[in-house]
Amino acid sequence: MATQKPENFDAFWNDVDEDLAGIPLAPEIEPIPIRSNANADLYGVRITSVGPYRLFGYLSIPKGEGPFPAIFYTPKNGSVHEVIPQGTATGMRKRYVTFSIAARGMRNSDKPYAAMFPGQLTDGLESSDTYVYRGIAADTLRGMDYLLTRPEVDRSRIVAWGNDNALLAAARRNSITHVVTTPAYLLDTIEHALQTSAYPLAEFSDYLRLYPDRKDDVVATLEMYNLRWHAESIKAETLIKADHATGTYNPGVLEVLESGIAGNVTVHESERSSSRDGLNGEKWLTANLIGPDAELIIPEHWENHPE
Amino acid sequence: MTIDKNYRCKVRTPDDFDEFWGDVMSDAAAIPMNTSIEKDDLRSNDEVDVYQVFYDSLDNLRVSGWYAVPKGATGKLPAMIQFPGYLSDPMIPREWAAKGYACFSVNPRGKVRSRTQFDPGYPGLLTFGIVDRNSYSYRGFYVDAWRSVDFLLERPEVDASRIGGVGGSQGGGLAITAAAMRKEITAVSISAPYLCGHMDAIELSHTYPYDEINDYLETYPERRKDVEETVAYFDGISFCDKITCPVIVNVGLQDNVVPPETGYSVYNAIASEDKKFYEYDGHGHEAGKYIHGAIIDEFFETHLKGGE
Repeated sequence: MATQKPENFDAFWNDVDEDLAGIPLAPEIEPIPIRSNANADLYGVRITSVGPYRLFGYLSIPKGEGPFPAIFYTPKNGSVHEVIPQGTATGMRKRYVTFSIAARGMRNSDKPYAAMFPGQLTDGLESSDTYVYRGIAADTLRGMDYLLTRPEVDRSRIVAWGNDNALLAAARRNSITHVVTTPAYLLDTIEHALQTSAYPLAEFSDYLRLYPDRKDDVVATLEMYNLRWHAESIKAETLIKADHATGTYNPGVLEVLESGIAGNVTVHESERSSSRDGLNGEKWLTANLIGPDAELIIPEHWENHPE
Repeated sequence: MTIDKNYRCKVRTPDDFDEFWGDVMSDAAAIPMNTSIEKDDLRSNDEVDVYQVFYDSLDNLRVSGWYAVPKGATGKLPAMIQFPGYLSDPMIPREWAAKGYACFSVNPRGKVRSRTQFDPGYPGLLTFGIVDRNSYSYRGFYVDAWRSVDFLLERPEVDASRIGGVGGSQGGGLAITAAAMRKEITAVSISAPYLCGHMDAIELSHTYPYDEINDYLETYPERRKDVEETVAYFDGISFCDKITCPVIVNVGLQDNVVPPETGYSVYNAIASEDKKFYEYDGHGHEAGKYIHGAIIDEFFETHLKGGE
């Protein structure tokens, strides 16, 4: 387990921000009529990240007078880029501005770089200079930068929703007021990767099995992304969706984040039910962004949960 | 909402269903597999050897897949086909191989490693070409999945009399169609089957991916009849009366992606006399997998390993 933040940690991330600051966002926005409806309009957005690299995002804006609370769906580890996550009540788009950014390598942001899954997480891992994740982290931040340009967004209510990238975004962008996160691979990565054969963490153990001599370099590279070192910068109110007690990122393992994050933290241990876990997340989101008595917008079949 | 466990989806099997699919199968049979297989040292481990596989399919499209076999196995192995979900990138089936199966995880057209020639995207795949059964995306997508049987039949280590199929969500829907069309599959496990009861599902819940069809029909309401006619050829329920092998089906009663009502309808339509249904109250689209996983393992132990 890492015990000390890398000496060049802050310099590394300041460089990322400086690189981003030096590149115009250059947004292009186009309506997508087939995904627009009585609740919301959908737009395709193109912006530029470090590289320079052109990214694509889905922006949904509710009908009616804003500003609206916003959900920033951070890039996940997978090829598919969704408007809103599968299984989310589409009625959510009536209440929230949503913005889903595809990081480089994901569909819609896969020209010229089409990542493989598995494969993305170890691309260029032999060196912090070549590791693809610097770009992916920058793309995540770039998405947030764009969302803040939208006049429809209520800046007092912006949630970053996703896996590890939601925490990275909140650490580097204090404009994120809330976080809903399911950490999956960026906390003490190698320590946990060596204890599991399940992806995405297994990408790292696969890599070290083939290249054991690179372990020290890999560990050093990944320390820049270790959530352990980012936690103290996160001021947002945070819901951590932890694995079940028998899982890798269980509440015990995530205690370092629970205690390290500067904002208020709630930890929900998975009940090994996607509907119960999902319902808990929607309740937390609604209570924190809309109000404790506000109506939930949930899928029809979540309304008949047994006690 | 209360779940109607006697629910019957409205889809009716088209009169020329067998003729349509017979023609498609004939077209596919005329295309040589041209299989390539290469060991992937990065994904192989102490227990399992992993291979990257490619073969040709309908429209001369190159389809990929992951093949995993237990390291050092001798003799003929029972085999498994793992069918992929709609959004997820196909899994490397190391877990099945570690349990003693030669397992193929197929990546039909549009999935990672199979999207050079065809990539309608997500959202997009579910409605691509949906106004005509001959242009619909799933015409080729299904064939890509079914040809995984042909791949396994080429493998000398596979016992052709012991091939199973397993999948959840879209993987469940693909497992239904594969078990119906390829009698080499002798046992099948179906979880939260997607692509079954399309026209009911879009009314029972309002979430993606089924909402892709609602988006389409809101934009093109005049095409509803064409859409209904097309999806009837691809609806898993239209295939169910051809399934005669042992089957298990499981659903979550709080499934927010695939309405559980359609799962009941699937189960009731399956012809096999050796079938069993598992419902998980308090569970969503994962359909109780943490409980049901052991049931699936036992099912295949019984039917593919003779209960060894």
